Amino acid sequence: MMATSLLKKQRRIILLLVLLILLTGLTGLSIGSASLSYAQTLLALIGHGNPMDEFVIFDIRLPRLLITLLSGMALAASGAILQNLSRNDLADPGVIGINSGAGVAVAVYFLFAPVNHDSFTYILPIAAFIGAFITACLIYGFSYTKNAALEPVRFILVGVGFSLALSGLMIVIISSSDKQKVNFIASWLAGSIWGDGWPFILAVLPWLVVLIPFTLYKAQSLNLLSLHDTTSIGLGLPIQKERLILLAAAVGLAASSVSVTGSISFIGLMAPHLAKALVGPRSQLYIPIAVLIGGWLLMTADLIGHNIVPPDGIPAGIIVSLIGAPYFIYLFFRQKT
Amino acid sequence: MVQIYTENLHIGYGERTIVEDLTVQIPENRITAIIGANGCGKSTLLKAMTRIIAAQSGSVIIDGKRITEIKTKELAKKMAILPQSPECPAGLTVGELVSYGRYPYQKGFGHLTQKDRDVIHWALEVTGVSAFKNHPVDALSGGQRQRVWIALALAQETDVIFLDEPTTYLDIAHQLEVLELLKRLNDEQQRTIVMVLHDINQAARFCDYIIALKNGRIVKAGTCEDVIQADVLREVFHIEAVIGTDPLTGKPLCTTYNLIKGETAYV
Repeated sequence: MMATSLLKKQRRIILLLVLLILLTGLTGLSIGSASLSYAQTLLALIGHGNPMDEFVIFDIRLPRLLITLLSGMALAASGAILQNLSRNDLADPGVIGINSGAGVAVAVYFLFAPVNHDSFTYILPIAAFIGAFITACLIYGFSYTKNAALEPVRFILVGVGFSLALSGLMIVIISSSDKQKVNFIASWLAGSIWGDGWPFILAVLPWLVVLIPFTLYKAQSLNLLSLHDTTSIGLGLPIQKERLILLAAAVGLAASSVSVTGSISFIGLMAPHLAKALVGPRSQLYIPIAVLIGGWLLMTADLIGHNIVPPDGIPAGIIVSLIGAPYFIYLFFRQKT
Repeated sequence: MVQIYTENLHIGYGERTIVEDLTVQIPENRITAIIGANGCGKSTLLKAMTRIIAAQSGSVIIDGKRITEIKTKELAKKMAILPQSPECPAGLTVGELVSYGRYPYQKGFGHLTQKDRDVIHWALEVTGVSAFKNHPVDALSGGQRQRVWIALALAQETDVIFLDEPTTYLDIAHQLEVLELLKRLNDEQQRTIVMVLHDINQAARFCDYIIALKNGRIVKAGTCEDVIQADVLREVFHIEAVIGTDPLTGKPLCTTYNLIKGETAYV
């Protein structure tokens, strides 16, 4: 009944993506300034490598790979929720100002708070998270009208407005500060995966462990929200309540990701869209695939960016944008026809 | 068996009143049509009866309870609504869409039980769209698509189905097909059907009860013989109608009509 062939296809794609992620991960652990063979890497992974290799793998490369994987997953899930809520394939947490909100908070904190080098790395993600969250609340407040339902399109438009305004604010803040600090903020904005240690993984993981299963739990609500309002109310969905809860989940996912990786756009746009092209728009089928694609995309983008121009590399956000921007334009024109 | 009636219903947007002090009973297990000129409030009435929009005052009562006191998910087990131009995401298959009709009976994740599958299967069969189960909805023709949306409403297993102009955008053969399907559902399963219709002859042919609205008030409500009358149509549509008898069905038929001289339809 439920198109079992689609279900089988989904299982096959999931398996394929997991293998792809493992393979890319293994490659990521092996290449870098100290190149290892796959054999050396595998030995080190099971605890039989030489101590130097183990240090490189466990303390440097593995946490970075994991953080990009998790962040990509969170962005994809967030984008999937936003696309269903707005019934628009162009919605993305980066487009609606959540990234900019986090960015302003990071800039303000970084420039004006007394920097204590021990606690700095742990407070920055919190600042980013608070910034993202306040922005989301403001966007919600401004798109809320008395008497009328929360209009997803209005929400997106207000978000785009906020995104532009906050970017402007950021330029004002940056232009009045000294050069060294500006460098850090600029690389944060470009999505430079700066939070690449185990503590950051522990900071991001709980959000994903809670919110991704929650998103799947709400799959049927997401399905109904992608129909006409009249249809979803008629089917018994309390749309206001569900929208609010799912919006909060989308913000939580995006904010947790942005707070450690910096500003990264387009993953939340591309991953759900590619997944829908593979198995169709039913949430139960496409969201797990979107999550895996998102994780893989960001991991791969960072791997490329990190190794392409040694020693500093190109921020992952820029690599993603290089792929994402043309894709966005392609989608935009396809949607118009 | 479900009883529905409205009590002194006022509906409006801000200062503008659309429906005024409307009290009407929907006959059980019958097909009811709501007719009237553009902007008379017929769609608005349908939306208020199905909690899509809130009434300013008065109430809609189903099974002795105000609809505002019933949880929306519970209400979805009693009444289904098919909007005028429903939309669904590109690429969604017919089977998937119809499965969403089981939402009122589901908890999270959207897992389908055997009972759910049986109902979905039946809904696809009875509307004649089983063959398209794995086809994307957006690849179907207008008539097929409308039957798919009716299947979605049927999957909800409700005693009452509301439809907002179910025949718009369809050619005359497919209009008939959709109305006959609804008639069959009413005959065979005693479902109460309430629909907004533009075509008064279709209303006369397929409906047991007709509510004629003008400026948000009822001009006449009754059987088709009571309502499809020259004086009623003059008041409701500002037309001078010639009423005959349909040679096929024996129902009243508006054979031809003129605008009333010196007046326009849009006053």
